[in-house]
Amino acid sequence: MRKLLFFIPFALFIGLSMFLFSGLFSDPRQHGSALVERQLPQFQLPDLMQPNKLLTADELKGEPYFLNVWGTWCPTCNAELAFLTQLRQQGVRIVGLYYVQPLDAAFGERFDLPALQQDVQQKLAGQGDPYQFNLLDQHRTLIFDLGVSGAPETFLVDADGVIRAHHVGDINPQNWPPLAEAYQKLVRK
Amino acid sequence: MRIVMLLLCFFATLPALAAEEILPFSDPKQQALFRELTHELRCPKCQNQNIADSNAVVAVDMRKKTYELVQQGQNKTQVIEYMKLRYGDFVHYQPPLQLSTIWLWLLPALLVLGMGVFVVRKNNQQQQLVNEEVSSKLDAELQAMIDAVAVKPNSTDKSVAAEKSSAEDKPA
Repeated sequence: MRKLLFFIPFALFIGLSMFLFSGLFSDPRQHGSALVERQLPQFQLPDLMQPNKLLTADELKGEPYFLNVWGTWCPTCNAELAFLTQLRQQGVRIVGLYYVQPLDAAFGERFDLPALQQDVQQKLAGQGDPYQFNLLDQHRTLIFDLGVSGAPETFLVDADGVIRAHHVGDINPQNWPPLAEAYQKLVRK
Repeated sequence: MRIVMLLLCFFATLPALAAEEILPFSDPKQQALFRELTHELRCPKCQNQNIADSNAVVAVDMRKKTYELVQQGQNKTQVIEYMKLRYGDFVHYQPPLQLSTIWLWLLPALLVLGMGVFVVRKNNQQQQLVNEEVSSKLDAELQAMIDAVAVKPNSTDKSVAAEKSSAEDKPA
């Protein structure tokens, strides 16, 4: 009994070490999403390339798709364009949600649509265009409702408009398999 | 001259104080609520800053939204719920009480309880040791007194006395 008591601090120490050690490899950006298993929030946003065409959440329903939050100002987003384009060629449906980054949020925003359209066109022509179309969220309303904290972030939305996954960071060949599986499951339904 | 320098130093730091956004409030209570909220809500991007402290785009947007909601007359829990619905429990520095977080409260309580039990038991043990020591001492003294009285009449019979004293050495 006495010997057993003697080992309790040692056991506690090992337990604590293991807990802290596992923390070294966890990603602090992955802290669960409040959006998963909920309907895509309602919105009415213009198509980036055809600003007169307004799109709503209901119009995106019908088949599963990835909603990819990105911007030309974001280097990681540019890095994933090529891989996403490959996915599109394999038949994956990807819709872009353009994240307008203010020059300095504290000093108000300057917004120049033709310049942005040109910038986006150039970028997509050079890196590949994975998008069916892009939603323009100038005031970041949908982006706010989706709990997006930066770019890139990607949502997997099913045919009924329910969010099934929220991925923070870029999509690349290493982290794609589980997303692919979830997508294929929704497609087969 | 020194005083002037000191005063200059003091005023030189004023612009730093003024860097915080100046938002108009008609009700000082709402202003206080806004202040409280922006200090309690956590920036999802720069994770160890509150939204008052951070200038990440998402923090600026959250401040704007907080301002808007407070102006609409929403109370503290309503604003926090609004943010949690979008950015998760993570966004509030006060974690909610649920099965996965219960350890945050249980563990310190268990630790204090465990240490309390340990200290009490240790104390008892020590007390017991002291008691035993004292009582064995008393026993010995008592025995010596008994011997002194009991052995005397037979002091001539040495073998009996020796036998008796050897038996007394054994602990009771």
